[in-house]
Amino acid sequence: MKKTIPLTLIFIAGLLGVISFVIPHPSYQVYDEWIRNDLLRVLSAFAVVLALGSLLRVHFDKIRRKRKNWQFSWLLLVAFGASAIIGLFGGVAADGILPTTIGSFPFDIQTLYENIVIPLASSMFALLAFFMASAAYRAFRVRSMEATLLLGAAFIVMIGVLPLGYSISQHLPGFVQWILNVPNVAGQRGIVFGIALGVVATSLKIILGIERAWLGGGE
Amino acid sequence: MKLYERLMTIDRRIIYGILLAVVMLPLIFPSVVKVTPMSPVEKLFTAVDNTTDDKALILDCSYSPQIKAEVEPMAIAVLRHAFKTRKKVLVLSLYVEMIGLATRAINQVVEEFNATAQTYEDSIIYGRDYVFLGWQPPPIVPMLGMGESISNIYVVDYYGNETDTLQMMERIRNYNDISILVALSGSRIPISWVAYAQNRYGLAVGVGCTAVSGADFYPYYQTGQFTGLMVGMKGAAEYEELVEANYAVKGRRIASEAMLSLTYAHLAIMLFIVIGNIGFFLHRRKK
Repeated sequence: MKKTIPLTLIFIAGLLGVISFVIPHPSYQVYDEWIRNDLLRVLSAFAVVLALGSLLRVHFDKIRRKRKNWQFSWLLLVAFGASAIIGLFGGVAADGILPTTIGSFPFDIQTLYENIVIPLASSMFALLAFFMASAAYRAFRVRSMEATLLLGAAFIVMIGVLPLGYSISQHLPGFVQWILNVPNVAGQRGIVFGIALGVVATSLKIILGIERAWLGGGE
Repeated sequence: MKLYERLMTIDRRIIYGILLAVVMLPLIFPSVVKVTPMSPVEKLFTAVDNTTDDKALILDCSYSPQIKAEVEPMAIAVLRHAFKTRKKVLVLSLYVEMIGLATRAINQVVEEFNATAQTYEDSIIYGRDYVFLGWQPPPIVPMLGMGESISNIYVVDYYGNETDTLQMMERIRNYNDISILVALSGSRIPISWVAYAQNRYGLAVGVGCTAVSGADFYPYYQTGQFTGLMVGMKGAAEYEELVEANYAVKGRRIASEAMLSLTYAHLAIMLFIVIGNIGFFLHRRKK
């Protein structure tokens, strides 16, 4: 029962999802609309609640058991609580029942987002450029013909996409477009076909109940 | 230490320091670098430009703070273009964490235009010129659902107004009333727009993406599934150039200002790769 119900549900849901694309009849489309617009939204709302519950449980558990770096879990819980309260009661445009300014200091959800989340996330990602530069210097060696071709193409594209490329030769940006449009597309298309076939095969295996790893619980 | 060893083992702090300097200096002393718009960006610009009065364009701001530097200038440039040419704009995000960035881009451009507006007609008015639909999970719901009815999917907008009551939405009902959707993202969301909204409803899709994901999107551009393509900071700078050249829209051009940083950073990385390979050749010859 524990496995039969989820497997039956996934079979029906998968089949309905596929059928909607091949039966354009209005009567079926109305039904399909209901599944997508109503049922799917209700399900995703449940998923959000489950995800939040799971997140909180994991961090409460980490604090209780004093696992490694448990102090950071407090940080997450405080940030979670504060942003939830400000977001829920402060309103999206600082028009809620909760005051979101102290004197001239605003702390509405948009201000918090712009001044905390954006700088933190941007800074973390910006560090990538430094690691990439260091890694390229250490690892990019012309050891074979393939590596030489890769390096040559990389240099042409790196220069060609810059305004400098146009200054060197008016034809260089066009050549870069050709590299992206022809050799790159040829390779990408092969990869995309491979992935698409893999996705179809995996989806069929899940719908037909052959692949059951998503059920969890190991054996 | 031998020369080739020195060339192959430059301290990473030196690399970081040089990269920091070449990126920061042009940002501290900014200057706009002129770029030549390429065909993928020109096609997107033309598609937005060709939006007729009875249609609107959708701007999907599904980019996260991590890629803000590359993609936000695209959002600002497209909004400036649309507002200057009086196109109706619907803005949305497919994920909640991106809503704040969409709000930021809209607020900035609306303030720019309204600061110089002389009359009510000149101003950019919410509900008349643009609507912020907000976020509706999961992404497949708005992607498919808006093909039938936008106001059924977004019953209320981001600010809680009933979408049906907004002046602009009287004539904008579904994808039939949309000229193009511009998807700004660093993930595979634009491909999902093609897979669901374009295949089923024929929606035209234009894309603004990060430089690293650009190569993945060229197959879709080549087939015409993507009407146009802005790739990375350079793509944003090209769109800024087109907006200013065609409509004399003034405003800070963040992507164009960053072109010098990008140029020097690329050259520095290439220089380091060349130095490393010279050391590698000398070492191999020695052996």
